[in-house]
Amino acid sequence: MAVGGAARHSVAEHAMEAGAAPALAIDGLTKRFFGTLALDRVDLALQRGEIHALIGENGAGKSTLIKCLAGIYQADGGEIRLHGVRVEPWLHELPISFVHQDLGLVDELSVGENVALVSGFPRRRGLIDWRGVWSQAREIYAAMQVEAPDPRLPVGTLGAAGRAILGIVRALARRSEIVVLDEPTASLPEPDAQHLFQVLRTLRASGKGIIYVSHRLNELAGLADRVTVLRDGRKVRTARLADTTPKALVRDMLGREIGMAAVAHAAGGASQPVLTASGLWIGRRGPVDFEIAAGDVVGLVGLRGAGQQDIGRAIFGAVRPDTGELRLDGIPLSPDESIPERIARGIALLAGDRGRESAFSGMSVQENMLPSPHIGGEAAWRWVAPGRERRRIAARLERFDVRPRNPAALIDWLSGGNQQKVFVGRWLESKARLFIMEEPTAGVDVGAKFAIHQLLRDAAARGAGVLVVSSDFEEVAGLCDRALVIGRGRITADLHGGDLSVDNLIACSSMGREESGAD
Amino acid sequence: MASDQTSSLAVAVPAVRAGRRLGEFTATYGLALVFVLVMGLFGLLRPSTFFSAININTILVGQSVTAMLALAEMIPLATRQFDLSVGFHLGMAQVLIVGLQVQYGVPWPVAAVAILLLALVVGAVNGVLVARFGIDSFIATMGVGTLLFGVSNWYSGGQQITGNNLPASFTGLTGIYLHIPLPAVFVAVAAVLLWIVTERLPVGRSLYVIGANPRAAELTGIRIERHIIGTFTAAGFLCGVAGVMLGSLLQTGTPSVGPEYLLPAFAATLLGATSIHPGRVNVVGTLLAVLILAFSFSGVQQLGAPFYVQYFFNGGILIIAVGLSVYAAQRRRRAATAAEAGLEPKAGSRPAGGEGRKADGAIRNPG
Repeated sequence: MAVGGAARHSVAEHAMEAGAAPALAIDGLTKRFFGTLALDRVDLALQRGEIHALIGENGAGKSTLIKCLAGIYQADGGEIRLHGVRVEPWLHELPISFVHQDLGLVDELSVGENVALVSGFPRRRGLIDWRGVWSQAREIYAAMQVEAPDPRLPVGTLGAAGRAILGIVRALARRSEIVVLDEPTASLPEPDAQHLFQVLRTLRASGKGIIYVSHRLNELAGLADRVTVLRDGRKVRTARLADTTPKALVRDMLGREIGMAAVAHAAGGASQPVLTASGLWIGRRGPVDFEIAAGDVVGLVGLRGAGQQDIGRAIFGAVRPDTGELRLDGIPLSPDESIPERIARGIALLAGDRGRESAFSGMSVQENMLPSPHIGGEAAWRWVAPGRERRRIAARLERFDVRPRNPAALIDWLSGGNQQKVFVGRWLESKARLFIMEEPTAGVDVGAKFAIHQLLRDAAARGAGVLVVSSDFEEVAGLCDRALVIGRGRITADLHGGDLSVDNLIACSSMGREESGAD
Repeated sequence: MASDQTSSLAVAVPAVRAGRRLGEFTATYGLALVFVLVMGLFGLLRPSTFFSAININTILVGQSVTAMLALAEMIPLATRQFDLSVGFHLGMAQVLIVGLQVQYGVPWPVAAVAILLLALVVGAVNGVLVARFGIDSFIATMGVGTLLFGVSNWYSGGQQITGNNLPASFTGLTGIYLHIPLPAVFVAVAAVLLWIVTERLPVGRSLYVIGANPRAAELTGIRIERHIIGTFTAAGFLCGVAGVMLGSLLQTGTPSVGPEYLLPAFAATLLGATSIHPGRVNVVGTLLAVLILAFSFSGVQQLGAPFYVQYFFNGGILIIAVGLSVYAAQRRRRAATAAEAGLEPKAGSRPAGGEGRKADGAIRNPG
């Protein structure tokens, strides 16, 4: 995948050799919150035509740095220069585009209108020129060599990948010199991420500077030119990516060695399967046949729209399959069984779209962790003593390492990674037989990712089945005993043991596509 | 609950903690504080009349119907569904409880039971229209409410039904015994039951959870349809109770009475949502809001203000209180993100393009 980082003579290297002022220079930036140093004399120089990765654990100061750049926070010390000219983002908006994990799209409005909200509505004689709105959106997509959806479609009808692409495309359309991307690929399936990287490389070639915040270290190879590591508000180092390794970066981020392959794979038991799916057809795609054994962690992976998510949701009762039989512990699951009935039978589902399908915005961490009596199999009309519930929550916050450890904090106050820990905690404490986990560690820092993986392994070790629906091949390869690759709603490969590797997952899922394209 | 919130704050910086505690405290007990201030102010200005048993009991009796209706309104509002039929429903129940006795000689307990059963049906119809047929609650309940208004006028021929010779046991429903006004006791009983449901039973949390994110609620196994039908049915029942109380209070059945109760009940519910549990409708806040509005109006009246001041009062307090709570929520949020910045400010908030999410403690339009 590496596109010869060292050999390529990039615009950035030209700029550095010529000794020109960097596009963006941050010098000794310091930010204090009530005496706590959130940023401690951080330096960062972004050249024209450079992709500069910014990495660090949750709380390392990445977001604070970005917010200082965006003028949301006023820095307490240090300076920011744009092309050598000192600027004050607190006072003046800089020509920098920001794309966040939370894309800020309006679901009810069309793609074209969402684009126009940022780049302006074309007008004719003072009125909105709707044809102009649609063509503007198409042009912006075309300029980035991204296939455009119908600009008249409501954004709510796009999938997670389509939404992420729209958010990025929309921000880049402002023709800024500098773009800050905050984990843009966290929710993107691998091929879309690759597509986005291609777009970023095109932008780099045209001389834009890109700051790229990420948790996925492997994806930086072949993408970023340099990387800056933050830890506890301080810059640990800036290095050319070619001169470092993911392992070294993890050590810099955490300040300690971590065994990446420390999650032990349990020996596959020959016990009775927790789940059996046979002849499953969903949305006229299938058939799917597979089993999940007790104690197994099975990955369900595939390209965007391949149907892996639908399979998990059909088991949970959120999607109705056309035909087919599902058995839980040998007992058939009727298609008429509702979600609460399936939860009662021991099926848990962590939804992949955090904001829209998991979070209860405006409610506390405590309520978000215990939102429904169904999950714990408790009665809806039972008296709940506040003290008892608080102790229960305190134990969970500790166990899932949710920061801050404040059950009364609103869920909105937490970072994305900590929110995810709450939602994982919502399900993992239940006595479910089968845990279906969609993108369980999306947007979560390395330490928490490791902890969540360990919790999933523990659940499996207690005799449950775990189905990880993920587009993060790295995660599936590291976590799962077995992976089923889905293509067009069918299983195209069943990988386990030594065959289960990132390379094989990528190969199998894209080969599946070629095969189906041929017929 | 608030002491739980403040005591369990796990913020490392003492200054922040103190500031946040103060913020939490004012956000939580703002309405209670205002209530004390109102009582203190008018108690000082009109010491002889304001605290008189007559004045207090008059207010408690007079406001019991509004309070009951506010509690009714609160239940569907917890799931972010409006019930605009409560005022009309109240009017119909009031016409029927007097009419059935006067015109058909039905004993009042029988009439009351019939009205409460009807109230359950009316509420369930609202709920089915909203939850099963997917009609926007605003429209469905406005339609049902208007139908009910039609029923009241049809039944009464648009004329006031004079309640001659109503039995003392019926008019006594809103009497005062041992210095305690009975209607206030009814409200208290309803409030305690509702408090237990919303604050201490998982089913109550489910209502708020549905209000916060219906899709996510569904995926945690909550049956949204059942819950919404349940909330409207419960609201209908309380409207029936309020109607029986109103009939006993007025001792006439007047078809035009009822709709004017909708807005005060609504205002109290929304005002109540600014306190105790900022950002969500709650029982204690709702009752406090009813009392504040009633006592402050009574105080102003005793100072010689004309009757129409009531409207300025209700409107003005609603805007000011909600405005303050929005401001408090923003400050609270800022303090929280700042305090966590040592860890990490919320990753999702957007720098450009205004506020990512609306203020957390503010009332959001449930629509």
